[in-house]
Amino acid sequence: MKEQTNGILNGYKLEETHFEEVFTRQNGVKPHYQNTVDRFKQFSLADFERLNNEVKTAFFNQGITFAVYSESKKPDERIFPFDLFPRIIPAEEWTKLETGVVQRNRAINLFLEDIYHSKKILKDKVVPADLIFSSKNYLKEMVDFSPEGGIYTHISGTDLIKHSDGEYYILEDNLRCPSGVSYVLSNRMALKKSLYDLFDKLNTKTVYQYPEQLLEILKTVKPKNTDNPTVVVVTPGMYNSAYFEHSFLAQKMGIPLVEGRDLFVEKDIVYMKTIYGPKKVDVIYRRVDDEFIDPLVFRKDSMLGIPGLISAYRAGNVTLANAPGTGVADDKAVYHYVPAIIKYYLGEEPILNNVQTYHCEKDSDFKYVLENIDKLVVKPVDESGGYGISIGTKLTKEEIEEVKIRIKSDRRKYIAQPIMSLSVHPTFVEETKEFEPRHIDLRTFSLMGKNKTYTLKGGLTRVALKKGNLIVNSSQGGGSKDTWVLD
Amino acid sequence: MLSRVANNLYWMGRYIERAEHLARYSREIYFSSLDAPILKTYDRNFALDSMLYMAGIFDMNYTKEEEVLFKIGLDLENSNSIISNITFARENARGARNAISTGLWESLNKYYHVVTNYPVEKYLTTGFYEFSQMVLDHTSILRVKIYDTLLHDEEWTVILIGIYIERVLQIIRIINAKLHDIYKIEQAGHPVTEMSFEWTTLLRCAEAFDMNRKYYANIPDCQQVIEFLMLNPSCPRSISYSLNGIRKYVRKLSRNEQGGPDTINFKIGKLHEQYNYLSFDEYKNDIYGLLNDTQRQILTIGEELEKKYLTY
Repeated sequence: MKEQTNGILNGYKLEETHFEEVFTRQNGVKPHYQNTVDRFKQFSLADFERLNNEVKTAFFNQGITFAVYSESKKPDERIFPFDLFPRIIPAEEWTKLETGVVQRNRAINLFLEDIYHSKKILKDKVVPADLIFSSKNYLKEMVDFSPEGGIYTHISGTDLIKHSDGEYYILEDNLRCPSGVSYVLSNRMALKKSLYDLFDKLNTKTVYQYPEQLLEILKTVKPKNTDNPTVVVVTPGMYNSAYFEHSFLAQKMGIPLVEGRDLFVEKDIVYMKTIYGPKKVDVIYRRVDDEFIDPLVFRKDSMLGIPGLISAYRAGNVTLANAPGTGVADDKAVYHYVPAIIKYYLGEEPILNNVQTYHCEKDSDFKYVLENIDKLVVKPVDESGGYGISIGTKLTKEEIEEVKIRIKSDRRKYIAQPIMSLSVHPTFVEETKEFEPRHIDLRTFSLMGKNKTYTLKGGLTRVALKKGNLIVNSSQGGGSKDTWVLD
Repeated sequence: MLSRVANNLYWMGRYIERAEHLARYSREIYFSSLDAPILKTYDRNFALDSMLYMAGIFDMNYTKEEEVLFKIGLDLENSNSIISNITFARENARGARNAISTGLWESLNKYYHVVTNYPVEKYLTTGFYEFSQMVLDHTSILRVKIYDTLLHDEEWTVILIGIYIERVLQIIRIINAKLHDIYKIEQAGHPVTEMSFEWTTLLRCAEAFDMNRKYYANIPDCQQVIEFLMLNPSCPRSISYSLNGIRKYVRKLSRNEQGGPDTINFKIGKLHEQYNYLSFDEYKNDIYGLLNDTQRQILTIGEELEKKYLTY
């Protein structure tokens, strides 16, 4: 353990076992962090706390909050934790990362087109057919249907971590309704207001274009015979935990935010109910999951959906982004095959590495997993938000046995990975009033339209605020940081 | 614009307006009672009863003043309280968040947080004036944001219709409540000449005292006050002015639709013209009658607007 020398970073203790983003082992500062560390050293604790509180108040007043409902009539509103110390990615590092993410998403899109059409990759046995057809996210409604422009994954969120070897690894793909981009934009606005002098010194790439790029991308996939498409965002409603993001994006794009009850389908045309009567809708950025989107086709009890939507979609009268049925490709069991998928469709070596994945469905992997549970992270293939994950080193003997029973009961459902050591980053801990190392990851956001792509420069750095915690999801008490990509 | 969003914006306008009138009325009645010249209105219970009447609470048995203040100001269980109105305004805005400006949303959200976090203890002991003033100040900010940060299109039009409909209803309620007080004082045998204080209070309840003074330069009496608050076309707190507002914005919303006696345009136009050509002498013996009739007509117009534009 070594000590830093100045200001509020005085007490920062380097961790030996994880990759440290800001400081070197020799107590120095990595070059791309030098300006920022210098700036933070100027803060007294009182100054920093004041700034921290101002930013929190601003988030609160902007309504970037989630509500915790209790028995009392007034819901308790809280902001998502935000850390003022930015995560910085140098230009070169970013270029590789972005190229790798774009490569991956291009291949995944081709994979989706293939498995819903000629199924070549399955016939060639690169990916086991059983794995795809047994997935509940493989939708028969999508078979032989070609979405506009051949685009399935208009919006992809790719999660990455930096391991102790200093390399980025893909942790998972999010191809359904990845969320978090509104925090990227809000975090940036907050940091620009509070650390504006630092922006002067660094050439940080901007993020503000995301909503306009998203709208342009959505317009590229308008249905045929539509000149000036009406684009809308569909939300489950204001009690959904991501409602802030839905309204934020709709507002920034200047398009209507609609709920299922605002829409109806007549003769395979989707309409929204306006004050002057029905208005045709052409492109839907939906933030409602597949299973709830059309009660005539999927869950019959869905109150959020639009009866007849899938029929209108299949008739080519409306575009859905993302396309239904993309979940089959972000299944954690399919993740294992993505490097092979990249090679198969693009003939290229994957730029970004996967984390080694053991497939409980495969006999050899299954055996290895059972023998090494204490060294592995076991994950269900079809859950998100960090749910259902068991981390081997944290389990008691009894719990290990329970995990074994769970895996044996449904081998298709579980994969295992070595416990990856997420990099650590100085993060202000309010309880101790000190900066301490906390684990971080990164979610990038890439857009794909007809002849047009865009990747947000940076992304959402999520930080696990609990000491030693490896799960960064906001539903598990994670916070976030602004992410700066340097020019 | 989505009908659901229009519905949210309409009600946002109404709740913002409603909270403000309730806060102002309660404050004026409460503080005027501190040095009222007529013994009857010195009586604190008289003021509290008047405040409850304005808040639409007719059956409350209270033993302490604090109970009434809490019920009107910060009681979330009471859907007519100031805090409930602001909560409803904010929830409606949240459901239409993308249709309004960031400035308007943040001002309303901040207003909501300030009110919901106002310490109850302070409100009940020393903060009543400050609390009411805060409601009025935040409402002023919202008005500016509504006028200056929104495109003056359908969304904006719907908000203004909500505001003006609520204003007519609240001004009617204020006049009714205060006439009710004055009637009680008269019943107690006080001569009409001692009433200028009560008429002044009524004007203050509508924040129209200064305007009235400027217009008449005279000691307020029944005619001056009732005529002013009901018929004056230039006083933004009068019924006539607000009817004009509803008429103008309903026409805009209907895209200048022409139509017969069944249309909303026709109905609001007729009501407004009735006020344009009315003199105080014609209804001085039945002020309640005119108020009640106006209220009924406005409620009908509100229902028809909801049916035509705001149903989804």
